[in-house]
Amino acid sequence: MTSPPVQLQAITPSLPTRRDKAVAPFRIMTWISKTITLLGAVLLGHACYSAQEHSALQSFKAATTTLTSTSAVASLPIDIAIETVVATLVILLGLVLGTRPLRPIQWNVWAGKIEREGEEGFLDSEGEMNRDFVGNPFSFLETRPGFVDIRKQRKEFAGWIKNSGPQ
Amino acid sequence: MAQVPVQTIHRDPQLFYWILFPITAVMILTGVLRHYATVLMASAAKKLDQKTMREQRSLLHGINVRGNSHALSKRSFTARRDALITAYESGAYLKDPERRGQAPPNPMSDPSSMEGMMGMMKNQMAMIIPNTLIMSWINAFFSGYVIMKLPFPLTIKFKSMLQAGVATKDMDPRWMSSISWYFLCIFGLQPVFNFLLGSDNAASQMAQQMGGMAPNAGQMFGPGVDPDKQFLAEAENLAVIEHYSVLDGVEQRLLEGIKV
Amino acid sequence: MAPSLLHPPSQLSPAAALQLSQQAPAVLQNSPSTVSKSPFSALFSASETPELWIKYENLLLSCLRTGDELAAKQCLERLVARFGDGNERIMAFKGLVKEADAQHNGELETVLKEYEQILRDNDTNIPITKRRIALLRSMGRVPDAVSALVQLLDFSPTDAEAWSELADLYLSQGMYPQAIYAMEEVLILAPNAWSVHARLGEILLMAATAPGAAGASYQKYMAEALKRFSRSIELCDDYLRGYYGLKLVTTKLLKESAKLAKQAEEDGLVLPDTNTIERLNELATAKLSEIIRHSTAQDRGWRGYDQGEVAVARELLSEDSSAASRIER
Repeated sequence: MTSPPVQLQAITPSLPTRRDKAVAPFRIMTWISKTITLLGAVLLGHACYSAQEHSALQSFKAATTTLTSTSAVASLPIDIAIETVVATLVILLGLVLGTRPLRPIQWNVWAGKIEREGEEGFLDSEGEMNRDFVGNPFSFLETRPGFVDIRKQRKEFAGWIKNSGPQ
Repeated sequence: MAQVPVQTIHRDPQLFYWILFPITAVMILTGVLRHYATVLMASAAKKLDQKTMREQRSLLHGINVRGNSHALSKRSFTARRDALITAYESGAYLKDPERRGQAPPNPMSDPSSMEGMMGMMKNQMAMIIPNTLIMSWINAFFSGYVIMKLPFPLTIKFKSMLQAGVATKDMDPRWMSSISWYFLCIFGLQPVFNFLLGSDNAASQMAQQMGGMAPNAGQMFGPGVDPDKQFLAEAENLAVIEHYSVLDGVEQRLLEGIKV
Repeated sequence: MAPSLLHPPSQLSPAAALQLSQQAPAVLQNSPSTVSKSPFSALFSASETPELWIKYENLLLSCLRTGDELAAKQCLERLVARFGDGNERIMAFKGLVKEADAQHNGELETVLKEYEQILRDNDTNIPITKRRIALLRSMGRVPDAVSALVQLLDFSPTDAEAWSELADLYLSQGMYPQAIYAMEEVLILAPNAWSVHARLGEILLMAATAPGAAGASYQKYMAEALKRFSRSIELCDDYLRGYYGLKLVTTKLLKESAKLAKQAEEDGLVLPDTNTIERLNELATAKLSEIIRHSTAQDRGWRGYDQGEVAVARELLSEDSSAASRIER
């Protein structure tokens, strides 16, 4: 009989550093995304300021020298336009990087997530539990709240209090 | 390009207090009143007696067996199918088996179905009567008034909508007549009611939620439908179903699908 | 993490139930006792949400369980004030409180009589019907409970919860074929419920190992149990319970592979060949050890498993590996 060797050493509890390592990537991701978004916002602000300055300058020019042609005056310099587009893209990139991973849409993946992660997998960005998270939606078929035997539950609870009790 | 000179119409500022404000207030108050009228008039959801419930749910059961037959093994499905077909064809689930084969009762003479229709009628009436009354009130007192100017420009097409009752050709569509304000109120006050009465009339919804799963299969078991015919049709559906089971070859799918 | 009051508390551990019911004074103080229906007060106070009433219900259940009758009665009063005496669900809760209060069998009989009186007036009151069945079962009158439940299911065959209770009742009596039938009815109503598939697998396994089963029926039960566990895993990745069951079934089958007879292929439920069973066994072993490893290490994204279940799975694996090493030696 050939049973595969079970890695018993893997079953033993490992050091807590593993956990921190697992959490770290997410923290770094949000940090990066925030920096990128901020950078984009600064760029966009700069572009707006440049455009404003440019138009102010142009209107001042138009007021002083009435003779110059108006067609050249109207258009914005290409570098400001490019800066605006780039800034928008950078902000988009930052926001996209900062989103939480998408929720699963396949039944087995979704169900597996419920079983594997429990409530933790369904926290929103503020750490609050999602309101419509119910755990396994079919658990009522096994707990059967409509048929609850309250007397047995009370007895069990009393027994638990007597034996172990809250620490 | 020359600008079109802005039309100015000198209106009596009293128009605001005596037309615009009353119409709005009346509309809101009728809305609130109507809500409470429907709550009062709403007859409690009619209780089904046990036999009707049995008839309806047995049919649903058959539909479920048909739709989810893949969850069963072939043997259990066949056993269920045979039992259900026999029961359906013998009319075992019918409310009153001795009435089988007779024409369905006229829905107008059946008191239980009349009640449902009366309920619908009541709701309709609660909508129609106040609206007609207010409309005629506005027509009688305020027709032809220009009461306000919208703060944004509009195209000429809006003239017929906004200046109903004002037959002036050249007037800017931004000017609004009282009857148009009434229509705007009808369509636009829903958020106000949501705010005042709770969104989606919270009271009625909550009662339904506490009532558990309300059997809201109204259209399937409406009046005038012969349940016997429904059962026979369902028996036929069950008989022709081509059964497959998710259990067939599931271990192969598992071994192929899951990589460790 | 504190258990949420928005979820039904029946599956919580005693400690969690205690924690919930200790919240009772705070919840009762902070939540409005009644919600006024007048539109003017609605302008100034928070509007009514369904969550509030769900909270009260769950608090009521937890408090009853921990013996905090006072808070439970308060919850009940508020629910009655909102929904009235005639609401079927509220009637069931009132009965529940009375059941919990009952000291001896005489009082329980009174409650039972009350239920029967209610049902005489309105025989489609499903919450009360369920309470009556639960009370009958709690009083040890299982045959009565079964017949009442069968009667309920006769006029309401689309009630998955009731079918599941029936399966449990039959199982407690050792009537496996009936329990399996009832569980299959649950699956008809909820074909994608992975826990129900696993539960049916467990019942099938119990039926197979029961003393009465032998020969062909044993193989049939084992084959279906194997398939049910496989299906539950197919519906839910990394399902500890499904893999545990799969491991149990395949190990058992491999041990007896010699004496298993070839079945006639008539109803599609034949045992897969030994090679497939072996591969399934390996898969289950690998997955179980992976789950145990991650869960023990408390890795991110693997903390949802019940620690008790993980411990049992670990026991199974170590038993299995020691048996294997004995054979190799």
